Amino acid sequence: MERKNFLKSLMVGAVSTSVLVDACKKDTTSPTTTTSTSTSTSTGTTSGCSVIETETEGPYPTHTPASYVRSDITDGRTGYKLTVNITVNNSNNSCNALSGALVDIWHCDAEGNYSEYGGSGSQATNYTTVHFLRGRQTTNANGLVTYTSIFPGWYTGRATHIHVHVYNSAGTSLKVTQIAFPEGTGTALAAVAGYTKGMSGYTYNATDGVFSDGYALELATITGSTTAGFVLAISMSVPA
Amino acid sequence: MRAITLCYRKIIDANATKLWDKLVFEASYMEFKMQAQNYTTGTTFTNYADLLRHVNNAQAIVGMVTPAVSGYVQQLNNIVPDLLNNVGKRFLKFHRFQFEIINSDILDKTKHQVAINFYSEPLVWHDTVENFLLVSDQKPASNTDDELLSNLFQLQPYVNIHTIKNIR
Repeated sequence: MERKNFLKSLMVGAVSTSVLVDACKKDTTSPTTTTSTSTSTSTGTTSGCSVIETETEGPYPTHTPASYVRSDITDGRTGYKLTVNITVNNSNNSCNALSGALVDIWHCDAEGNYSEYGGSGSQATNYTTVHFLRGRQTTNANGLVTYTSIFPGWYTGRATHIHVHVYNSAGTSLKVTQIAFPEGTGTALAAVAGYTKGMSGYTYNATDGVFSDGYALELATITGSTTAGFVLAISMSVPA
Repeated sequence: MRAITLCYRKIIDANATKLWDKLVFEASYMEFKMQAQNYTTGTTFTNYADLLRHVNNAQAIVGMVTPAVSGYVQQLNNIVPDLLNNVGKRFLKFHRFQFEIINSDILDKTKHQVAINFYSEPLVWHDTVENFLLVSDQKPASNTDDELLSNLFQLQPYVNIHTIKNIR
């Protein structure tokens, strides 16, 4: 009886019920444990009926990466296929390949729209919501990450670009930058020609607010065609 | 009778002990740290409250962190965790959740505290037996004489009756 009262006093107002629940779980497998008890509750203060947790936590939880982690970031967006190859090296280590770095990229769709990522203003977030044209990969031994996407469109005031954020493996930011696209006759940009929007009103790199101060290091190489798809390659140095 | 929906606000912080809770803590902190750095660059701010107060569009961070936990929510198979009926089983179905960052700091993981708000599917509240609510899943146009599967459960901290509606 004293023991019961003692246990009850523990439960009154107890916030950390999970400790008690865990103790009860143990009961089923190790009845000799000194904390064993014939009564418990998951809520505490009321008299009478007491509930013990009699089943497992359900499906055993497993490590699940953020849904940003994927190589194909297309998410059903239509456009000319674009393979993006980014090679990262370490400017603090003789420009050797930087492996194990996390690389986030995001860009707009053919119409120039980004995936909405708000959620804060809405009543509740449905977890089936996808974040199109956003992805995260980890650089391999050669410093390379690869994504499958579509050739970006454009929007007023900006030249075509892809956002890049490079982190070390602990998630500490190493560099936020953008990839610029080559312009002129014969380029992929000219071949895509702004999709259905055309190129009227397009902002070229020279007058772009981000790239106009020089973009030689941010300029990618792009090969391919509208029928075969394009391949973008860029190498970037970051201080790690 | 009344139809109700419940909201369970599950708070997870550095004291988490269950495996699922710990995984959500780690994943959401890593993502917070990564996303928040898009807003802290060029400032001296490191904690979430300061970012919200002083940096434009920082309220978007919570939406950007949500994909780090959505995979874990899916593992629950649409059953709210922790809440048990009177025979000790999880019973409450949900299809909507909202992730919330209560506090955090890109330099101090111990400050990280988040909540997942689970919004239940509608329940019919038939009766109250001592401290327990007797509820069943609300089904459209079912004959009132039909036998229903029901659950007895007790309201507990961080569980709110989120909506209520009188039904015949």
